[in-house]
Amino acid sequence: MSTKTAEFVVTEKDLLQGLDKATAEYKIAALTKKSGRVLYDTVKNSNEILLEYLPTVLPPKKFFFPQDEVILEYTSDGKINAKIEANPLVLFGIRPCDLNGFKILYETFADDHGDPNYLAKVEQTVVIGVDCENTCDEDAFCFKVGAQNATQGYDLMLYKFAPTSYAVEIANDKGRNFINKYLITSGARGDEVAIFQAKKDAGFKNKKPFKNLSKLPELFEQNKHHPIWEQEGDRCLSCGSCVMVCPTCYCFDVTDEWQLNLKKGERIRKWDACMLDHFAVIGSGENFRHSPTARLHHRISRKFNFLMKKHGQAVCVGCGRCVRACLADISPKVIAEAVGADQEQLETI
Amino acid sequence: MRTKLNIREKDTKLYLPERAKVLKIKEFTETEKFFELELLDREKLGHVPGQFVQLSILGIGEAPISISSAPSNNNRFEMCVRAVGDVTHKIHALHEGDIIHIRGPFGNGFPEKTTERFLGKHLLFIVGGLGYAPLRSLINKVVPEREKYKKISVLYGCKTSKDRVYAQELEELRKTGDNVELLETVDKADGDWIGSCGVITTLIPKVPFDPQDTFAIIVGPPIMYKFVLRSLLEKNLPKENIYMDMERRMKCGVGKCGHCQAEGIYVCQEGPVFNYAEVEKNENLFAMEQKMKCGHGKCGHCEIKGDTDICDEESVFHYAAFERNERAL
Repeated sequence: MSTKTAEFVVTEKDLLQGLDKATAEYKIAALTKKSGRVLYDTVKNSNEILLEYLPTVLPPKKFFFPQDEVILEYTSDGKINAKIEANPLVLFGIRPCDLNGFKILYETFADDHGDPNYLAKVEQTVVIGVDCENTCDEDAFCFKVGAQNATQGYDLMLYKFAPTSYAVEIANDKGRNFINKYLITSGARGDEVAIFQAKKDAGFKNKKPFKNLSKLPELFEQNKHHPIWEQEGDRCLSCGSCVMVCPTCYCFDVTDEWQLNLKKGERIRKWDACMLDHFAVIGSGENFRHSPTARLHHRISRKFNFLMKKHGQAVCVGCGRCVRACLADISPKVIAEAVGADQEQLETI
Repeated sequence: MRTKLNIREKDTKLYLPERAKVLKIKEFTETEKFFELELLDREKLGHVPGQFVQLSILGIGEAPISISSAPSNNNRFEMCVRAVGDVTHKIHALHEGDIIHIRGPFGNGFPEKTTERFLGKHLLFIVGGLGYAPLRSLINKVVPEREKYKKISVLYGCKTSKDRVYAQELEELRKTGDNVELLETVDKADGDWIGSCGVITTLIPKVPFDPQDTFAIIVGPPIMYKFVLRSLLEKNLPKENIYMDMERRMKCGVGKCGHCQAEGIYVCQEGPVFNYAEVEKNENLFAMEQKMKCGHGKCGHCEIKGDTDICDEESVFHYAAFERNERAL
């Protein structure tokens, strides 16, 4: 973390005014309150923005990968158009766990088969991250999976080093252009990030990563039949909540809908969940993950084994949302610990 | 304030299907029909055997369908569609001349580097039911150039003789002669059937093969693999010499949506054709659980035939039970 430097410093007042100015060009989405609930949503004025983080139910991935999204439009006489829509957006106040989520989703959607709908939205969005001084609550375990720090996924990163001042790290040209256009800043002295980091180090002092974090794929491979799967899977209600609130789940279903006049139709991509009973059913009726245990094993193994190898980091970012949402108190952390994530000495590896 | 998006041209078409015209329709069975399609916006499909396309009916949806014809140099291709869901029922209601849409081809199929391994060898095709549709793309490629192979044996099993697809072509295949043979069986024989009766594994002992010089290619319903694999391994066929086409319900076709994922494998990307040696440890690929509710052989949810409740058989199919069980295949 010491390698990070800030070029500029911005005061809270200038930051919020800058965001207000940017509304001329962008929509602004940030942490806000609606009907007493904390969520990421678009705001009209910076006074609606919550600067202190409170956990949200849904992660901010919804701005890049909405719950439902039209991907094709067509008419009854056979004209088809791929609908790729993105509008300029500033996503303000995204925390390291979700920034790690952005990085993972970007790697997924920007592979050889680039997903145009996702990539268009990323391109049109300025992501302004804000680093955390501590975990947000008891359920979060970002530090266990090394996701309390973010190195990618943002265009600008803010470090609150003084009560009303942020140090600004610029990640790319998009971030630089935004600063030049909208933020009144002053030059940094150079020690701002270090001041913030000292506070963060104190906050995370006793919060250490899994001892065997890098070996999780092997551990999960070896423990396909560990009793923990049955133990936790037996309680699972297959409601799919954990998937809906996950910043790194991206499974989807695609459905077609005609308008009532049958002249125009749409193909819509919707969030789906591998924890739901029907997810792995094939045409002839066989279900390849029939039991809740098999589905739980699949989802958690994606995070710590199958996809972890591909992304080079745990694909669970420890945000704690699924833990808060689960009616049966199932936690990826508990499962990882059961298969030996924190075990001192591993005999077989 | 919209600016032009900087997205690769090919990516903007990721989910955009192309037009195809239905040239010919034939009825095979009560539930299976043959379709010949012609691409209207492309010169050729450019597929390898074993790949699939996403067939699209606007307003209804997409369904993954295997390409049934051998690779060709024109814009035509064939498929055999079983009516099981909304999309496939709608496909069955099409008429010659209708326009539908496709995306693809997708999947690995049998690329050149795989089929090169087959040259000069004995090919053992082991096919169950509608599995003939995807494998026909490979069979129709190798049979015309049969002199390049030691022997080609096609073992085909169906529930009843009425369920055979491409019945007319099977007769031609039977008459090919040379080093090509076709062995057929049905689980349950009716009045007209004069061939073998029994599950597909009963055909394997009838084809003597040299394990070191033979490649087996298996396609069939999910439950078939386990038993065919067991028979082949008993005969010492090396695991590296076994290829399996294991289809799932691929939805996006581009390794994103997650529906076809089996452990770390996206079937639409790394499959649907797998070498057994490479995937034998992937339990999810071979998982075939039935819905068990009571667990005491009472409720009937897991029953495959009147006398075989899977839960009573400790969730595992006993070979004997399987053999007398025609609904299992």
